[in-house]
Amino acid sequence: MNKKKWLFPYLQQNRGLFTLSILLGALTILFGASLMFTSGYLISKAATQPESILMVYVPIVGVRTFGIGRAALSYVERLIGHSLILKILSEMRIRLYKIVEPQALFIRSRFRTGDILGVLANDIDHLQDFYLKTLFPAIVSLVIYVLIIVWAGFFSVSFAISLVLFIGLLVFVGPIVSLLYMKTKNEQIKTGRNQLYQQFTETIFGISDWIFSGHYVDMIHRYERQEQKLLDLEKKKNNFLNWRDLSNQIILGAIVLFSIYTANDLKMSGEVPGTFIAAFGLVMLSLLESFLPLAGAISDTTIYQDSVNRLESIQTAEPIQDELDEGLPSRSPISIELKGVTFSYTEKRLLDSVNIQVTQGQKIAIIGRSGSGKSTVLKLIYGALVPAGGEVTINGQKAHYLESIMPKVMAVLNQKAYLFNTSVINNIRLGNPNATDEEVYQAARMVQLDEMIRKLPNGYETNMQETGQRFSGGERQRIALARVLLQNTPVVLLDEPTVGLDPITEATLLAMMFDTLKDKTIIWVTHHLIGVDKMDRILFLDNGKIVMEGTHQQLLKNEARYRQLYALDRPFS
Amino acid sequence: MDKVLFSYNGVKLHLVKLSILTVFQSVMIIIQAYSLAEAISSLFGGDLFRQVVNSLLLFIIALIVRQLITGWKKTIAFQFAKKTSENLLDELMQKLFQLGPRFVRGEGSGQTITLVMEGMRRFRRYLELIFIKTMNMALIPVTILLVIFYLNIRSAVILGLAVPILIAFMILLGYAAKSKADQQYESYHLLSNHFVDSLRGLETLKYLGLSKQHIDQISLVSERYRRSTMATLKLAFLSSFAMDFFTMLSIATVAVFLGMGLINGTMELFPALTILILAPEYFLPIRELGADYHATLDGKNAGKKMEEIIAKESIVQLQVRVPIWDSTSRLAIKDLNVMFPESNQEGLQNINFSIAGVKKIGIIGASGAGKSTLIDVLGGFIPPTSGEIQLGDQKITSLSVLDWQRQVSYIPQHPYIFNDTLFNNIRFYHPNANMEEVFEAVKSAGLLEVMQDLPKGLDTIIGDGGQALSGGQEQRIALARAFIGNRPIILLDEPTAHLDIETEDELKETMLRLFDKKLVFFATHRLHWMLNMDQILVLNHGHLVERGTHIQLMEQKGTYRQLVQQQMGGIS
Repeated sequence: MNKKKWLFPYLQQNRGLFTLSILLGALTILFGASLMFTSGYLISKAATQPESILMVYVPIVGVRTFGIGRAALSYVERLIGHSLILKILSEMRIRLYKIVEPQALFIRSRFRTGDILGVLANDIDHLQDFYLKTLFPAIVSLVIYVLIIVWAGFFSVSFAISLVLFIGLLVFVGPIVSLLYMKTKNEQIKTGRNQLYQQFTETIFGISDWIFSGHYVDMIHRYERQEQKLLDLEKKKNNFLNWRDLSNQIILGAIVLFSIYTANDLKMSGEVPGTFIAAFGLVMLSLLESFLPLAGAISDTTIYQDSVNRLESIQTAEPIQDELDEGLPSRSPISIELKGVTFSYTEKRLLDSVNIQVTQGQKIAIIGRSGSGKSTVLKLIYGALVPAGGEVTINGQKAHYLESIMPKVMAVLNQKAYLFNTSVINNIRLGNPNATDEEVYQAARMVQLDEMIRKLPNGYETNMQETGQRFSGGERQRIALARVLLQNTPVVLLDEPTVGLDPITEATLLAMMFDTLKDKTIIWVTHHLIGVDKMDRILFLDNGKIVMEGTHQQLLKNEARYRQLYALDRPFS
Repeated sequence: MDKVLFSYNGVKLHLVKLSILTVFQSVMIIIQAYSLAEAISSLFGGDLFRQVVNSLLLFIIALIVRQLITGWKKTIAFQFAKKTSENLLDELMQKLFQLGPRFVRGEGSGQTITLVMEGMRRFRRYLELIFIKTMNMALIPVTILLVIFYLNIRSAVILGLAVPILIAFMILLGYAAKSKADQQYESYHLLSNHFVDSLRGLETLKYLGLSKQHIDQISLVSERYRRSTMATLKLAFLSSFAMDFFTMLSIATVAVFLGMGLINGTMELFPALTILILAPEYFLPIRELGADYHATLDGKNAGKKMEEIIAKESIVQLQVRVPIWDSTSRLAIKDLNVMFPESNQEGLQNINFSIAGVKKIGIIGASGAGKSTLIDVLGGFIPPTSGEIQLGDQKITSLSVLDWQRQVSYIPQHPYIFNDTLFNNIRFYHPNANMEEVFEAVKSAGLLEVMQDLPKGLDTIIGDGGQALSGGQEQRIALARAFIGNRPIILLDEPTAHLDIETEDELKETMLRLFDKKLVFFATHRLHWMLNMDQILVLNHGHLVERGTHIQLMEQKGTYRQLVQQQMGGIS
């Protein structure tokens, strides 16, 4: 059973709270039952018109105690249950984080789903419902089941045995039948729903195409037909649920009658007083009701299956040893070298004997069409990927062994830098957690945002999320640049940092980058040619090889292809 | 209950059906209690078991009938919810298409999808629950209370008083919990999203060298989240505690008073037992009302949101005949204004121009100048706030005209690739196109190599979840779509800015071939295209400031030239 890996170890670790929570859950039900038992006993006893009210004093106190006790217990039980769950969720989060952290730089390419990490985070939240709505009630029901049998055993063994069977119908047979039926039904509904979801997603994202195609009305009809089919499935499911509830009720009624019959029998043989008949009937009515939600809870487990499976599928990455990471003082000049590097994700070779040498302070631009391996070169230099052939070295040491000190050597600025949901100042300070406020302001001044940030409602303390509307794409990249400036590494890797920006913003941002990073090594992957004349060297990647290399002037002079591209990109300059 | 609920079709009949069934249900509950109490009390009185078999049989029958009615009510509630939600869905879908892509972009595509998919489901659930619950609440306790009143006035008074006290407490506690939750909302929100935020930004953390030490941060925040959640829950759970407390206390009190009555001899066992069995049933609908509180609230809000969208003003597609655009056609835009009252976005102001025949029109301007808005007006996605459009000799108020839109090919920055075969993607505008036509389009759009590289050629599934394509390849599919129908009008909204320069270069030749003998509106920042345009419209802050060819505009030394200089100045 694989699923134990994510679900059950946590219960073991939190044994105390778990047991307490089950105990309280059982007690809550028992108190409710005792209330009915005692009141049934109380009025039966009273009906015998005892001499003094003192005769029924104990049941009177009992009735009140059980009544109030039940409410209090249920309150405490819910609190403890939730506290336990939150604790477990917190442990799960840390575990998930520890698993994905080492794979941070390539997890996105491994799972093609855009937001796999967001999905996983939600999965963990889903498990909360599994514990609270399925697992705990199921265990509590089992406890109650056993207690009822034991209790019945005190009166009569045959009564106890019959109850094992009867209540077994509610506790085992019903839920299992329900689980089997619902498993396929839920599966069908889920498939239908996913199809519908996909269809609708396509409608929304392709809405302009649908409008221009002129046949969107057909599309609506098709969608509605499919929705109808799904609803028919749900209807079938609901019918099943109705019949399930009905049979549960019949069983419940039968058990109540049987208990009354037994109590009457026992009374006849003088084993229990007559006051117990009402008590038996009422207590069963109350106890059995606690078993009714069980079938639903058990058959819902299929809903959580996906979440568990997804969490399971996240594998632990094999750790890359960082053996030799001493002897690379981050302030010293850094020389980067790729020697005969080959690399491929699939059978198709992405990089084929690539040689690049970069010394401290050089500025390199890498150009090539999408899929030519530009970003892969950056990942190899950063040591996030291991070359299949050849080697990538930083000051003579293999790049992928340097994982732990890499952030001190190189900073990275991506297409869409991630800004965290915290204050502006915290976001910038991430570049160097030890930076003083003044240093942060200085970095913001360098990217010309200081003035603007100070005008925000809470200045530097304004939350990033609220500013989402206020900061444009260019400004967000500038914040990320400020972060990189604070990080203050000898090398900066730029991975198409201006994609999606308009030309004027692009030019301003590039000018700002080249100005603020002028003392550093820059390796810049770009899709446009603006600014390449400021580089020491331009590399053109095509089909995994470097096909052109040189300064802007050299390429302009020697390469017809480069001239053509430059004329396209900078037509009137 | 919400007033909107009464506006749905067939709601009155639905309510009548439900109320009749609910009355029957109450009667069954009473018979059930009555017969059980009778059986028990006569057994207690010393009767033999077979003497009470009839009562017990009645008990079982009542129990079954009651359950059947419950199921029946659920079924008709489901039917009603189904019908209502289907109608709503139809209206909503029509509306979404009328509101068009601009609305969807503004709302957020993801949000719209969630609203319709999840929202519709929640709304249906809400409809299923709300009528039954309200009916149960309105009818069952009253009926039971009447019976109890008839049996024993004192018990009826206790139970009757319990409910208003209970509700008052619930409201009070509800407010307290809410204000507490509101107080903490901000920090609560921040804490609960912290983990997702951390995972999404993991790559960045890693590059910053902070990912390892961030584990401490996560456990710290998780702990804080737990504590603050528990603090809120302590209050929130109090309301169900109050519910339990008052229910149980009332039952206990009733039991004690019944006991006293029995001892005094003012009461018989049978009515006492009946009351005792009925007491939990009396509270049941009230307890259930609160049970799915969040489910119903979500559904209600989703319903409201959808009604809001349906109520939005939108363009109605005009039923105008428009001849196929050719070299003799004319389009004139007069005093056109577009305003966006809700956002700060600038629209278009006083746009005047006219186009005759097949021309290539470049639309240029700084970002925010209104290029996309103009394209959207031309595509019929947004109606002008004022102004006039003259198409041939017809005057119309917007270009949301089926005959016009059917002549348009639209190529945006990121064309949408449907999760279907390459074949079907290409013939999307013209689903009846045959193999030959599609193949022709593949060749014209320069997709031949791509097609041959795909594992199943034209039958390869592409799009989300299928074979991944590069931006340039996706753009070529959009071009193939345009080639296939040979539609005479093409709208392009910044189709190449995000592509690398080599891909753009390769696409250019194909695109120019596509443009041949067609009316082309091409909005872009990329200046090299302007050399291929017959006319350029220069937009600045929503105004059409200049128009002419590249050479004319350069000579004018106006906005266009300034724009060119700004962009070509390079980086100093």
